[in-house]
Amino acid sequence: MRRVAVTGVSIVDPQGGSTQDFFNRILLGQSSITFFQSDEQPKAIAAPALHCTGFSAERTIGKALASGMDRYSQLGVAAVLDAWSAAGLPIDPEQENDRWGVSWGTALGGTHAYEHGLREMWKNGKQRLPPMSVVLGMNNACSSHIAIKLGLGASCMTYSIACASAATAIGEGFNKIKQGEADLMVVGGSDNPLLYGVFRAWEAMRVLSPGNAETSASACRPFDSTRSGLVLGEGAAALILEDWDHAVKRSAPIICELGGFGANCDHQNLVRPDQNGQVKAIHMALTNAGLQPQDIGYINAHGTATLEGDPIEISAIKEVFGSHAPDLPVSATKSSHGHLMGASGAIEAVITVLALSQDALPPTANLTNIDPKCEGVMHIVGQSIKNTSVKGAISNCFAFGGSNAVLAFKGTH
Amino acid sequence: MTNETSLKILRDFLLERTEIPAEKITPEASLEELGIDSLTQLELLFEFEEKLNISLPDVDERPKTIGELISVVEKYLSENPSAN
Repeated sequence: MRRVAVTGVSIVDPQGGSTQDFFNRILLGQSSITFFQSDEQPKAIAAPALHCTGFSAERTIGKALASGMDRYSQLGVAAVLDAWSAAGLPIDPEQENDRWGVSWGTALGGTHAYEHGLREMWKNGKQRLPPMSVVLGMNNACSSHIAIKLGLGASCMTYSIACASAATAIGEGFNKIKQGEADLMVVGGSDNPLLYGVFRAWEAMRVLSPGNAETSASACRPFDSTRSGLVLGEGAAALILEDWDHAVKRSAPIICELGGFGANCDHQNLVRPDQNGQVKAIHMALTNAGLQPQDIGYINAHGTATLEGDPIEISAIKEVFGSHAPDLPVSATKSSHGHLMGASGAIEAVITVLALSQDALPPTANLTNIDPKCEGVMHIVGQSIKNTSVKGAISNCFAFGGSNAVLAFKGTH
Repeated sequence: MTNETSLKILRDFLLERTEIPAEKITPEASLEELGIDSLTQLELLFEFEEKLNISLPDVDERPKTIGELISVVEKYLSENPSAN
């Protein structure tokens, strides 16, 4: 049976630093969420958000590549090139490999390109759009740019499954390697929901947490009795997955093992999460990884900080882990980085990988008054928990539409 | 409207969007060798249209050099003097 190694990871740090800089802040429970303002009319946006103000596409991927991409592709390619380098892989224009592929997640893709085009026409009176508009906006643009840049011939797939997009992309990339269809897969996700129409759409659902310049950093409070909704964020994260023998043969830096993937559908409701579906997905991931519930020492929860969603996830965890649940460390790092929509599964998978490999479990930031409905697990509060020698960890993603995706990682201790 | 004006529009566009060194942007330079693909050529023609407020016709034969690309614009302007 083929095993899947994680040999490189990267997160676009919204402040312009490194993946480790970002993870260090996560461990300290420091929020990267700021007060996002735009002067767009008819009603300006002013809300908490994760905004990558420190990201420079020109600096990270170069002007030539950046000029042909929408922002979600720029963020994604930047994360991939960094993860590629971390995995000790060269960027060679002549390189091509039909056993290497890409599997990418995005919920909104190039929505920005179309929104920008509409604004130019309806607001600024333009009668036509630039020729690049289609290839900027297509939802598989990012994965295609990745495949072209790195010469990946095995596959170039894009998954768009709301909040489970990237986790599904990672899981499907994992399956490609397990089934012998590829030796190396670039996986992850990127998204840019800080768009006028997208913001207003989420606002209409009444699930966005309010905030101002002083309170935005603590606007996302999963599991807290004062939680008031989610915070939108833009960003990207990437992982390099490899067949274990392939990684060993090239002396790659193996960070941990991706042991299992569980994916299913609640088939109940478009927006209301379902405990039964979540329980089945977690069980599937554990079985797939050959792990028992007591082997899991950390859960990176979906935890969006909505009133309805958080207690359902905790109930699902308690049902799966039983008597182990009260001792099981759980955190929702969206408290620090917000909800990256289709990229959330990628950023949280990378955080889970780093937690395992660096033996440091990040806290849920802003969690001071645990909601009684969310009790029954070991919530990590304040700062990180270190030196736990965790054997296994899972990352949960539960999407609108009822799709669930759970990734199970194994440490190399 | 002069050839120099067209060359300046093209040069400004390429310097802003690509990493092609300025000294390589000459009328004789091959578009393929500069890495200017068909999509970028379409963007360039769009840029000319926006900057000069004209509407260029479709071309039968794709230009192969910077000079040939500029001549598409020049030809249109000479045939439509009121456009400029």
